[in-house]
Amino acid sequence: MIRVTALSKRFGRKPALDDVSVELPQGALWGLIGPGASGKTVLIKHVAGLLTPDRGKVEIEGQNISAMGEVSRQRLRSRFGMLFQQNALFDSLTVAENVAFPLRRLTSLGEREIGERVDERLARVGLTDFRDRYPNALSGGQRKRVGIARATVTRSEYVIFDEPTAGLDPVTSQKIFDLLHAEQRAMKSTALMISSDVAGLMTVVDRVGMMLRGKLVFEGTREEALASRDPYVRQFLRGDTEGPL
Amino acid sequence: MAAGARAASGEGARREPGRVHRFVEGLGTSAVDGARAARLFYSILIRTLYYSVRGRREKGAVLRAMYQIGNRSLFFITVVMGFIGMIMVYHSCTQVNRITGDLHLVGATFLQIVVRDFAASIGATMIATRVGAGIAAEIGSMVVTDQVDALRMCAAEPIDYLIVPRFKASVVMTTVLIVWSMAVMTVIGMLTAWGMFDVNPRIFWNTSMVDYRDLTMGLTKCLAFGAAIPIVSGYCGLTTFGGAEGVGWATTRAVVWSIFATILLNFVISTVGFYVFWA
Repeated sequence: MIRVTALSKRFGRKPALDDVSVELPQGALWGLIGPGASGKTVLIKHVAGLLTPDRGKVEIEGQNISAMGEVSRQRLRSRFGMLFQQNALFDSLTVAENVAFPLRRLTSLGEREIGERVDERLARVGLTDFRDRYPNALSGGQRKRVGIARATVTRSEYVIFDEPTAGLDPVTSQKIFDLLHAEQRAMKSTALMISSDVAGLMTVVDRVGMMLRGKLVFEGTREEALASRDPYVRQFLRGDTEGPL
Repeated sequence: MAAGARAASGEGARREPGRVHRFVEGLGTSAVDGARAARLFYSILIRTLYYSVRGRREKGAVLRAMYQIGNRSLFFITVVMGFIGMIMVYHSCTQVNRITGDLHLVGATFLQIVVRDFAASIGATMIATRVGAGIAAEIGSMVVTDQVDALRMCAAEPIDYLIVPRFKASVVMTTVLIVWSMAVMTVIGMLTAWGMFDVNPRIFWNTSMVDYRDLTMGLTKCLAFGAAIPIVSGYCGLTTFGGAEGVGWATTRAVVWSIFATILLNFVISTVGFYVFWA
């Protein structure tokens, strides 16, 4: 279980997170929505132990990752897979090397097994023919799919996806949502997913949270979100131009 | 009131602080930021040294960095140091001609100052501008595109993966480049003295004033500068924030602070050397 308690973070004078508390049950797929610069990415970076909060804590299965040293954090992070908003592919490595990177670093698999896993992942995201290309020779959508392959290749207990469908066409987007959902169910992993494609996201999540100006203004099941009377949540889910946002 | 509405209204916002309050707050923030920066730099320095011994070795990473730092700087260093050697000898001979007209010790003093100090300090400044900027730009770009965080998620310590290969490569290649610079400065200086002041190369090539103390000082500076440039530049790269503008600033800071570090180290090494060898 992931438990976030009273998490606050400032960058200079600007508060990025303001007293955020939430509990994510084991094995759930949690969607996180909200307007741009509302603190979504900052929150998931705290969950992954990439940022240290000013106040509050993040506990992974009872272990306070916020209070850990870098070595302990690294050990805990090895149980995470993460897709970054900008994909964060390593420019100097080919597609196959990018996908193989976490396996080489986090597992003791041999080169043959690594090769098989990489091929399987690339096949799942439809990029088998691109294995020897470098990231700068790929389109935005292809890079996103390589990022997804790299985030899921280690079959981690916890997976974090920051905008997994950004830059993808609607059909591919839904395929990606379905793929991530199916894999999350198969692996029984706990997943956090940020997406601006609210409609697609709502088809796969178990629970959903909404961030607004650094605060978590809503948290509940998908059904509760859809039935919410909070004007901000309603406007955001419906995509209305009229409203408080 | 709904939670969203409460967040949007900024309920509970405090009164704006006064000018004195803001000044004191700014002063305190600067002091805290400075202390944090110093602590982070120290941490990067220590971890670089630690991982140089105990870190994970990436196949070919050091060789690639050596090629980038050494081979790619060779032309630039050769041209710049050649011109500096020429200018130094030209001005030395001109001044000596005005005073005594006896040029037979110009080569000996030139060799001593090149070996002891000038090749290392000027060469390191040139290397800092080229190599330091490159390291900061590369690491800074990786920071702003989340690649450094991606490394962390894959249990790859960024200092071990990004700075240590460049550190090892720089220590070796800065030394090689500076020794090469000594040779270039000497040859070009010799040709300048011969062509413009009719000093015979056999007279110019006078190593009587160069002894083990000058060699020790020169070599110590090579190693120290070679170690300082990638650590300072790596620190600037890793502390990049913002987008392309942030990378630009990181690059500028890397060049400025690398040159500052070489000058400071030069002062420290020269002072210690003076007390150890000559005082």
